[in-house]
Amino acid sequence: MSGAGRIAAGALATAAAGPAIAALVPPGVLLSLLAQACIYAILALSVGVLARQNGMVSFGHAAMFGAGAYLAGIGLGAPGLLPAEAALPLAVLAVAAVCFGLGLIVVRVHGIAFAMLTLALGQACFEAANKARGVTGGADGLTVALPREIFGLPAATFQWAEGMFLIAWLAMVALAALAALLARSRFGLLTEAIRENEERARFLGYGTVLPRAAVFALSGGIAAAGGVLYVLYNGFVSPETVHWSVSGSALIMALLGGTRTVWGPLAGAAVYFLLREQLVEVTERWLGLLGILLVLVMVFLPDGLSGLPRRLRRQRGAEA
Amino acid sequence: MSAPALSARGLARHYGGVAALRGVDLDLVPGEIRGLIGPNGAGKSTLVDVLSGRAPGSGGSVRLFGQDITGLGPAARRHAGLARSFQRTSIFPALPVGAQLDLAARRVGATDAPRLLDELDLARLAAVPAEQTAYGDQRRLDLALALVGPPRVLLLDEPAAGLTAEESLALADRLRELARARGVTVLLVEHDMEVVFRICERITVLELGAILAEGTPQEIRRHPEVVRAYLGSAAA
Amino acid sequence: MTIQILNGLVYGSLLLVLAAGLALIYGLRRVVNFGHGAFYMLGAYAGYTAAQAGGFWAGLAASAVVLALFGAVLDRLVFRALQDRDPLVTVIVTFGLLLVIEDAVQWIWGTEGRSMDAPALLAGSVALGGDAFPVYRLAVIAMAAGLTAALLAWLHRSRAGLFVRAASLDPAITAVQGVNTDAVAMLVTALGAALAGVSGVIAAPFLSLSPAMGGQILVDCFVVVVVGGLGSLGGAALAALLLGQVQVLGAVLLPDIAALIPFLTMAAVLLWRPTGLAGKRL
Ligand SMILES: Nc1ncnc2c1ncn2[C@@H]1O[C@H](COP(=O)(O)OP(=O)(O)OP(=O)(O)O)[C@@H](O)[C@H]1O
Ligand SMILES: [Mg+2]
Repeated sequence: MSGAGRIAAGALATAAAGPAIAALVPPGVLLSLLAQACIYAILALSVGVLARQNGMVSFGHAAMFGAGAYLAGIGLGAPGLLPAEAALPLAVLAVAAVCFGLGLIVVRVHGIAFAMLTLALGQACFEAANKARGVTGGADGLTVALPREIFGLPAATFQWAEGMFLIAWLAMVALAALAALLARSRFGLLTEAIRENEERARFLGYGTVLPRAAVFALSGGIAAAGGVLYVLYNGFVSPETVHWSVSGSALIMALLGGTRTVWGPLAGAAVYFLLREQLVEVTERWLGLLGILLVLVMVFLPDGLSGLPRRLRRQRGAEA
Repeated sequence: MSAPALSARGLARHYGGVAALRGVDLDLVPGEIRGLIGPNGAGKSTLVDVLSGRAPGSGGSVRLFGQDITGLGPAARRHAGLARSFQRTSIFPALPVGAQLDLAARRVGATDAPRLLDELDLARLAAVPAEQTAYGDQRRLDLALALVGPPRVLLLDEPAAGLTAEESLALADRLRELARARGVTVLLVEHDMEVVFRICERITVLELGAILAEGTPQEIRRHPEVVRAYLGSAAA
Repeated sequence: MTIQILNGLVYGSLLLVLAAGLALIYGLRRVVNFGHGAFYMLGAYAGYTAAQAGGFWAGLAASAVVLALFGAVLDRLVFRALQDRDPLVTVIVTFGLLLVIEDAVQWIWGTEGRSMDAPALLAGSVALGGDAFPVYRLAVIAMAAGLTAALLAWLHRSRAGLFVRAASLDPAITAVQGVNTDAVAMLVTALGAALAGVSGVIAAPFLSLSPAMGGQILVDCFVVVVVGGLGSLGGAALAALLLGQVQVLGAVLLPDIAALIPFLTMAAVLLWRPTGLAGKRL
């Protein structure tokens, strides 16, 4: 089977697992948690795409996530202006477009400087969300009433744990498949080459700013899609959603899972939420344990948990 | 008379107070393999950097077959037909060898990537990430990335750096064949005199950022100032 | 107005001490310590506990010692082990430490806010242009000035300081000259952590203690070092004092956009000189 075929088959199989999970898990708190987990997994995926294709570590992706949520919320709050079916995709496209423009400038910054730059821009967005009371509701947040139907589905579907879990699961799988297809495309190879050695890519005749900005836009769009689902499910968004601690959590998920593979961040999000749920039962100290886990993974498994099989295979190969 | 393949006039470059190039003129005849030698710090890499658009010159101009490319960036120079390799291996460590070469070939619409992999003994490594290959393979990959196309003019900054004497000579012979077969004009920076004398028709000697001498291998071998400045008693 | 300017100066002074530690560590290890705010908070709590037994000054000393030890261990076990890896890996490890420290502090001291008294000597207030101003805040300015002067004197007058300056310019060459750069780096990381701890104790009497105090000030501290130039104490000092004014005066004069200014300035500096982060003169 070709690579693209494998991705499609994997995506279909994973997508089909969604209803099975929904059927197996008793409805209620756990399913609601899974729905939230899928939404944050999409955010982690977006952080991972940027790290994998551009080699950039972002401490500010909550801004794109929050921007998607706010724009969708504002669009849904003015139903006379735009039907919801247009407002939601527009929110994603608008964030992606802004990220592309921003990307043309910010992708010139690398390494630690980029991490700090995204932190600064993210906090600027956080402050803006706090201050622009007229648009965002300020610190009180924005409460969003959904229209009766969106895309033919009753509004309740989006705010019901099982409904949102399925929607978010499918969205997550579709976006991951998109990212995987991109990664193995010519464009994906080019961005990886630029990540590895930007100067040499230029000497091979490639412009390097545009491809990097395009990846930044894609990553921003994926994050915004997560934000749109977030506001649909919660009917509410506040500056807390844009805070850098959210960016930090998404980064932790991505790095725990590993950004060498496209699906690593999804695995990282699963570990993050499972750990939180399991540990909360026994100890309140789950954040500290998460920090320790992050340190251990960074030191001993630089490719993250998703790099483990590869690592084991290699070790076995070396012994044989 | 046809225009020189590569023609530089008055190239200069400073690093802070240090003048690394002080008004260098250079003309490469189409199809020749020109050697560029000089002691450590003479400015050889700086000259290649300015010619290839890696570093801005602080004066002078560069022409490629008559076309002024002075203000162009590296990517535009590659499209104009000027390629280079690096003294410190510059490849894409995590990417498979074959994929890198495809990437290089596709950009300039070249179809000779598979053949070049064969000719540079890299075909067996096509699917292996470059970081897992031997140092010598990485050096040849660096060369292949520049040679694919082929470009019209090729700047090679010590392609044999770090190789054994034997490997250097083998690489030099291979390089001569490849360049001849493709009609590529080459500027070859090399420390190993034996290599330069073996494959270059003409040699330019750089010292302290200026051209000290230029001529055939025989002339350079006998040039009194070159002997004093560079070759020392060993070559005499 | 005078009071506002003074308050800005107080906050700027605090940032200066904190940022000096961050810049020192960066100079030697080329790592931006995301755990620096957590060090500051840990220092405040450690000082708080010691102060209950022995008073403010005991708290200050205890915090410096505890954090210096912490910094030394961190350098030995983490920074040194990771020095050949991508600096981003170390940065993320310091981010992980931030989580661990914040959680440990909540474990030990709980989540409710706490307050710490200024030393008796510096209690009370003075009249300034008709308004009362706490003496302790004036003392904060003095302490920050004193610490900065001591640090500069140490860097520029002592033999160890010479090694630090040399090693932050070029560790490899300094090592070749026979300086034990690992020892210098450990000393500097310890010192940087101690400065964070000390600034936590200094802040405690006028900003209340809470596990979240580190996260808030960390980003301000980043603004200071980026705008001032990482590795330049003079630049950091200027940026810290300016930021203090922007925070306090801006909140009064331009309440809508003042909060954005520091971040946008930091972003502009990073974009304008992306390599400005590369260490320079200390
Ligand atoms: N980035 C730089 N900053 C400051 N000075 C530099 C820099 N690069 C080169 N130089 C100086 O410019 C001069 C020329 O250096 P260059 O690397 O061009 O020499 P070279 O002839 O290639 O030497 P080698 O044989 O060692 O490769 C030297 O004095 C060198 O120290
Ligand atoms: Mg050189």
